[in-house]
Amino acid sequence: MNRRIVGAFATVVLGAGLIAGIGTYVSAAKADTTILDATPAGTLETPQGTLKHFTMDLSIYPDSFFKTSSPHPDWVSYGPSTNFRVPAHSAITFTMKQYDSGEPITNDFFARVAGTMNGTINIDGKDVTKVDANTIGHTFTVRGLSNGKSNLFINVPMPMVPEDKMSENEGEYINPTIVKFTIITGDAGEYVWNCEFPCGDGTLARFGGPMSSQGFMSGHFIVTDN
Amino acid sequence: MTTTMDRTASAGHSAKSPLIEKLNVFTAFGLGIILAVVFYVLAAKLIPEDTDAMLIHTKHDQIILLAMIGWFIGFMVGIGALIGPFRWLLGKDLSHDENMFYAGKDLGTKRYFRYTTDHKVVGIQYLVTTMIIFGVGGILAMLIRTNLGNPEGGWIHPQAYNAIVGIHGIIMIVGTIIMITGPFGNFVMPIMIGARDMAFPRLNALSFWLIVAAIPPILSSFFLGGIMTGWTAYEPLASESPAGMDGYIMFICIFAISTMVAGANITATVVRMRARGMTWNRTPIFIYGVVASVALALPAFPVFFLSQIMSAFDRAMGTTFYNPAGGGSGWLYENLFWLMGHPEVYVILLPAIGALMEMAPVFTRRPLFSFNVAVMGIAGICGLSALVWAHHMYMSGWAPLLNGPFMLTTELISIPTGMLFLVLVGTLWRGRLWLTVPMASIYALLWNFMIGGITGIYLSDVPADGALHGTMFVTAHFHYTLMGAGLTGAVASLSYWFPKMTGRMLDRRLSWVSFWMVQIGFNVAFIGMFLVGLAGQPRRVESYNAMFNRGNMVTTAGAYVIMTGMLILLFAVVDSWRNGIKASDNPWFAKTLEWSVPTPVPLENFATLPVVTTDAYGYGKAKS
Amino acid sequence: MSQTQTQDKAPWWKRKDVKETATLWVILSVLIGGLAGEVIARSMGAPASETMENTIRMMKIFTWVSAPVAGLVGAIALKSLMQKRHYGDTPPAESDHEIANSPKASAVWIVTSGLLCLFALVFGMIVMQEDAKSLQAPNAIHVNVTGQQWLWNFDYPDNAGVRSHDLYLPVDRPVIFNVSAKDVKHSFWIVQMGVKVDANPGYITQTAVTPNKIGVFDVRCAELCGLLHAYMQSQVHVVSQADYDAWIKSQGGRA
Ligand code: HEM
Ligand SMILES: [Cu+2]
Ligand SMILES: [Cu+2]
Ligand SMILES: [Cu+2]
Repeated sequence: MNRRIVGAFATVVLGAGLIAGIGTYVSAAKADTTILDATPAGTLETPQGTLKHFTMDLSIYPDSFFKTSSPHPDWVSYGPSTNFRVPAHSAITFTMKQYDSGEPITNDFFARVAGTMNGTINIDGKDVTKVDANTIGHTFTVRGLSNGKSNLFINVPMPMVPEDKMSENEGEYINPTIVKFTIITGDAGEYVWNCEFPCGDGTLARFGGPMSSQGFMSGHFIVTDN
Repeated sequence: MTTTMDRTASAGHSAKSPLIEKLNVFTAFGLGIILAVVFYVLAAKLIPEDTDAMLIHTKHDQIILLAMIGWFIGFMVGIGALIGPFRWLLGKDLSHDENMFYAGKDLGTKRYFRYTTDHKVVGIQYLVTTMIIFGVGGILAMLIRTNLGNPEGGWIHPQAYNAIVGIHGIIMIVGTIIMITGPFGNFVMPIMIGARDMAFPRLNALSFWLIVAAIPPILSSFFLGGIMTGWTAYEPLASESPAGMDGYIMFICIFAISTMVAGANITATVVRMRARGMTWNRTPIFIYGVVASVALALPAFPVFFLSQIMSAFDRAMGTTFYNPAGGGSGWLYENLFWLMGHPEVYVILLPAIGALMEMAPVFTRRPLFSFNVAVMGIAGICGLSALVWAHHMYMSGWAPLLNGPFMLTTELISIPTGMLFLVLVGTLWRGRLWLTVPMASIYALLWNFMIGGITGIYLSDVPADGALHGTMFVTAHFHYTLMGAGLTGAVASLSYWFPKMTGRMLDRRLSWVSFWMVQIGFNVAFIGMFLVGLAGQPRRVESYNAMFNRGNMVTTAGAYVIMTGMLILLFAVVDSWRNGIKASDNPWFAKTLEWSVPTPVPLENFATLPVVTTDAYGYGKAKS
Repeated sequence: MSQTQTQDKAPWWKRKDVKETATLWVILSVLIGGLAGEVIARSMGAPASETMENTIRMMKIFTWVSAPVAGLVGAIALKSLMQKRHYGDTPPAESDHEIANSPKASAVWIVTSGLLCLFALVFGMIVMQEDAKSLQAPNAIHVNVTGQQWLWNFDYPDNAGVRSHDLYLPVDRPVIFNVSAKDVKHSFWIVQMGVKVDANPGYITQTAVTPNKIGVFDVRCAELCGLLHAYMQSQVHVVSQADYDAWIKSQGGRA
């Protein structure tokens, strides 16, 4: 009798412990656990008044040799992280260094700029509202759950670098296209971003590989209150 | 065949092949791993590199698939499955002694780890394997529910989450397919029909070891990038998935072979080997459930097999069966999948209902109400379930004009399903209820399957499916049928046949505690899931809008209660198996043949084969 | 025993346990129909189209139609449970008056379930026809829906060049959606309007609806489509015809 109660109890505890252990392992086993925080940069005049200003610098690489240990060194990747944290109700200026080549995009909707301040982005010094759909390198496309909170949608297409201006050497990155834009964040929440240019070569619809795996062409975009 | 062997002729130990005695599960794993590595290394060396001109890179998938084929061959050779066929090639057969060895004549523990042909050993092997599969699936389920405890998810990364959802789904489906026909269909069924073994004992062992061979590929999937398709492995998403998909494909292919082998074997056994006098209307209803199930699986699983072979070709050979860029279509896959998928749900359900219908007379002490209606119901379900598959595709856009006809066939299936309800409540009506866990399980089935069935009718209605397809409502519907009805029947079968299989009673108090925890937890969890589904939460999502938070919390809480109940059951099974109260030969005072043989059941079941003169439900005196 | 015998002589519908079961049946049926119907209607929220209104009404009616079946099963099961229970290690004594078969009961059961099926089928067909009306409406506007991992985008072919991430629709005008996908299968679903159709790469599928409420609603992807499937959502803004024209103009259309 007693043995049975103790035994049943122990089984439950052991079982729950096993599940907790596996859960902890799985939740920690993320290919990219880093989160990049926006850097404070004073205030900025925006159409919505004066807002706190932050900056964030990102790069898009044609391979992932820049990572110390990438399971797929030949996959394209964002860097230095694929998870970003920015403050709510602020202006964030992104500077993207795009090092990769490109091709025509499958859906030219994503060649148009959306959701940035003034509806423009700045490419190598020029303000534009769209990019030639035949020469896209990657896009930076952010959205969240449609849940009545501010419905964030950002799409920033980034032109390609011509093949002949890229380095022959793996892990060496030169001549980026520099894309600058500012967004104004809404309420805090969990959003996600991914690249809408199909850059998973050799996979169906070129959306497998780096496009569908954690830590390369997608990630979390966290808007926080503090 | 062991069935025709003379039980006394075991004297000579002369020409025994030592090889046969050396092979077991360890040599199987060893050889399997070795061959997998060899195939992997060779393939990586010999297969040409992908070129930039190729739209789909195939080398990696070829390597992985070949390594898994290597594993499969190594495992089957290592377990000794090929010894018989090899002998035939040489124009010989196994000697009598070898056959006896295969049958597990030594009665030792070791025969559970070998290629043993005795159906009772195979039954126990299936039972333990099923429990392990449910254990793994259950752990994954708890990870899913824990992640969904919080609307924004994020505890588990979406990629891992998708892998967990998909692998939870498919291994639970496989678990439920084998949970009754495996353990009880093998252990109990031959005795129940008065046979000494299955029709093809070696195929029986083969079907079991194929399942063991299938499991490592699906588990390896976690380490190959996972699958991102859910259990249905829809194309073309499956072609886009990482190499984990190859694990899924291999798993299904091997499992499908196992199911076909088992199906042919069980059907042949029941058709050919029933005891003298066991006419079709004296054959117990459980047998009908099992045979109907495997008979449905027989045409269904080759289709599944084929659909996966084509997936494998798309991934590893660059064909475009399903890739629209090359003229293929995902609808082809959907049709093939559900051609298997709908019959498969009844493959799961029928043995469970059959088992509970078998228990109903025992625990009400009265005849089964309307045996003929029960048989008609089972037959009707079998017939119709081959004609309803596209109700899973109402919203796919494949053939909107066929939605009407498929709505017709789908709704018709509720008629034979209703017949099974009639049989059960008819048996309960004015019965004297002997309240045991199997009896309570009949009530649980009535409750859960009523909810599962009625929600099925909403789903079968095309306009309602427009709101409900692809939501948590569907998930809740099929958990009510698969778990609420199916698994409940399997757990009841376990407590019912436990005394015959192990010689001991399953601990009564613990199994009651477990029963209530599982049933209450289950209903809390899945009613919560119905509500969020109705409110519009999609299935298979890693995070969801805050409005669904409350329902998901309820579901997660229910899931923890289920987990606790299941762990208690696990302890009860292990503990009772070792220390339980010794059971008499016929603890339930039942009238089917399996209770007429001594426990432990002797090697060839019956000393003299029984002759059957009545059905097994002669409780009380029937008036009409 | 003697009580059963006297009961046996009375016509079956006068027997005590039959009457009690019948009472239970009525109570359970009303409970199930009322409760389940209400829960379903409430959970499904406020409809934003006639299609959704039809669906909710139909689910309520189906609930009421199946309630007597569920109620009867429940009543018999409960009645048996309340009557003669037995616990212990040995079975109860066997009863000697039970029926093993009743062709009459079986026939009634089967015919009734057949009729219920027929009802569900005919009713479903009628509603299906009604919902399909928007698809044939001559004044319908068209929207081309594209699913791509893991976003929706919308083109308004009546106004070439107008495109959006959130969907804009005028109220009370039928809309025909031409749905397709760029990569894998998705499912285009407007939650509060109760319409859904898969977006297939390489094919165009159609569905149609007439929104009848002004407000903001949800589009969600209803077919697992990979990594960020959970986030594949957009908003639907249903606005007055005037506001819609203004929006089209602001996007560069001619309205
Ligand atoms: C009266 C009987 C039943 C009817 C009318 C019915 C109807 C349906 C319909 C129409 C669907 C498709 C829903 C959708 O995806 O939109 C469905 C899904 C499903 N049903 Fe049933 N069903 C019945 C009984 C069962 C039983 C007995 C089982 C299993 C034992 C079962 C298992 C499933 C499963 C597994 C799915 C979902 C598959 C998936 O999409 O993953 N159903 N059912
Ligand atoms: Cu990219
Ligand atoms: Cu089905
Ligand atoms: Cu999608």
